Amino acid sequence: MIYRIRTIAALTIREAARRRLLAALVGITVAMVGLSAWGFDRLAHGGALTSGESTLALPQSLILFMFMFSFVVALSASAIASPSVASEIESGVLMTVVTRPIRRGEVIIGKWLGLAALLAGYAAAVSVLEMGVVDWVSGYLPPNPVLTTVYLFAEGLLLLTLALLLSTRMSTLAAGVVGIALFGAAWLAGVVGFLGTTFGIGALRTIGRISRVVLPTDGLWHGAIYYLEPPSLLRAHSLGQNENPFFTRSPPSWVYLAWVGVWFVAVLGAAILSFDRREI
Amino acid sequence: MWQASSAESDGLVAAGGVPQATAPGEGAATTGSPRPSVSPAIHTLGLHKRYRRTVAVKSLSVSVGRGEIFGFLGPNGAGKTTVIKMLLGLVKPTAGEAMVLGAPVGDRRTRRRIGYLPEMFRFQPWLTAAEVLRLHCRLLELPRPSWEQSISESLETVGLAERAGDRVAGFSKGMQQRLGLGVALLGGPALVFLDEPTSALDPVGRHHVRQITRDLRERGVTVFLNTHLLAEAEQLCDRVAVLDKGAVVASGSLSELLGRHSRVRLKLSAAPAGWTTGLSAFGAWRTEGEWTTVEGVDPDAIADLVNLIVAGGGRVEAVIPEHQNLEERFLELLQEK
Ligand SMILES: Nc1ncnc2c1ncn2[C@@H]1O[C@H](COP(=O)(O)OP(=O)(O)OP(=O)(O)O)[C@@H](O)[C@H]1O
Ligand SMILES: [Mg+2]
Repeated sequence: MIYRIRTIAALTIREAARRRLLAALVGITVAMVGLSAWGFDRLAHGGALTSGESTLALPQSLILFMFMFSFVVALSASAIASPSVASEIESGVLMTVVTRPIRRGEVIIGKWLGLAALLAGYAAAVSVLEMGVVDWVSGYLPPNPVLTTVYLFAEGLLLLTLALLLSTRMSTLAAGVVGIALFGAAWLAGVVGFLGTTFGIGALRTIGRISRVVLPTDGLWHGAIYYLEPPSLLRAHSLGQNENPFFTRSPPSWVYLAWVGVWFVAVLGAAILSFDRREI
Repeated sequence: MWQASSAESDGLVAAGGVPQATAPGEGAATTGSPRPSVSPAIHTLGLHKRYRRTVAVKSLSVSVGRGEIFGFLGPNGAGKTTVIKMLLGLVKPTAGEAMVLGAPVGDRRTRRRIGYLPEMFRFQPWLTAAEVLRLHCRLLELPRPSWEQSISESLETVGLAERAGDRVAGFSKGMQQRLGLGVALLGGPALVFLDEPTSALDPVGRHHVRQITRDLRERGVTVFLNTHLLAEAEQLCDRVAVLDKGAVVASGSLSELLGRHSRVRLKLSAAPAGWTTGLSAFGAWRTEGEWTTVEGVDPDAIADLVNLIVAGGGRVEAVIPEHQNLEERFLELLQEK
């Protein structure tokens, strides 16, 4: 079983390499990192900020930049996962694969692992580049770059898994669009929840809570934020404010993380079942 | 009409002329050899497939013996591809059941001994031909030391040896179909499904495929062949079934299918008056100049027919029995419906 899963995973990685997907992503990422390096350089050495201001401005700017990167990671995850099954069914490539002595579930798990490995590589590259460059130009390093990266990856992996599930039933385009739209909706619901908390509107708060359970991308993004916040930033925030789309006071609870684990198992399981029943 | 029971016995008898007697309990899945064993290569019972409103396959009962080359004919949309897909577990039947190589359809271990060339053959365009085959060696779990040999043999057979290192993306359609055939033949399968294997091939390629198919027969491999090329079926198949709108309208060996409907052309130099009176008893007839054609004559009755004419004082210069070709029979069958 491991052998067959590894075969598919290796094939998936090889496809990405051969199709220069990674090269393209790395190119775009380097350009974005360069832009942010220039911005941080201005911020740290431009003389516009006092040293007190810059201890807050640098972490906050990094959070904004990392938010943008989290978006890119999530979009890439959806983009690589949504064609993975759909386009191979459409083209007919899968017909000769699934008629070999391999289980359908092994095909799905192999693809998932291969894509996850690609995503992990990309998330790590983005984090190292961005945080490394910021450290280099401004001397600022967030408190926990490793856990930030892990959350960034987990957020992308969530969307990747969802797109893979959609890909077993929808066309490439539909799976990609639906995956990204749901990701956007979850983020928006997070903002709505924030408004609900801020202005004490129960219904809005509930929407925020529900969306974090149904699609935990926004919850994981707040995990990433937490590890980007130095103590100075935590102290500086007004006590009344718990959460906003770019700030959080506490890391995700164990219960929430356990739920995310259940979510992964459930969605991946659904993808396997769905593919198992799919006529090719 | 197709009968399940007769189909079964057909299949067992026509198994490439190899005696079917084997020890009881010798299951297909347990023997690795291509030697025919007790169970037919393919056996279906009431196999049925409905897509929303269209019925693609109507309770099909068919049996294909081991080592047989079985031709599946029928117009576009008759349901040929759907049958193959059901037999491979790609599509789930709405009703009915099927056994392939003695195991239920889709059985994972049995799939190791099945080759498949799809109608829409497509392979990972970013791989080279040799890499596609290597992937399938891996998927088939062939012993690693045998890979290179299997791959080069396969490429050699389908005439792609020189393009082994080229990406599939740059292959012509016919080259891709050749590669598909190479993939289907990899690992020495006991049963091969070929869905219109020559649809994209040039005449030389078609000739090669016919040769390859005959070689498969020599090795006792069962071939299930979907085709529109009736000449191909005529040359290759031990047995054929004609499918129309999901149902079998005729089946049997070619001589069974065609023999019953032979025709005789007669040349008479002297024809006595009223010589045609007895002719209708043998079949429908028509005259064109010196030649008279009688349709649907039982081959055994040709001598009687000639006797009748001679007894009436006629002089018969030539008697040419003609078998109907498959194309004529095919068109006739579809019109009868
Ligand atoms: N996925 C599908 N969804 C709906 N209908 C389908 C599907 N696949 C096949 N059909 C229908 O089933 C019938 C049989 O199709 P099939 O592809 O088996 O025909 P075929 O005999 O292989 O035809 P051809 O000679 O053109 O290849 C057709 O009416 C077709 O429209
Ligand atoms: Mg077809």
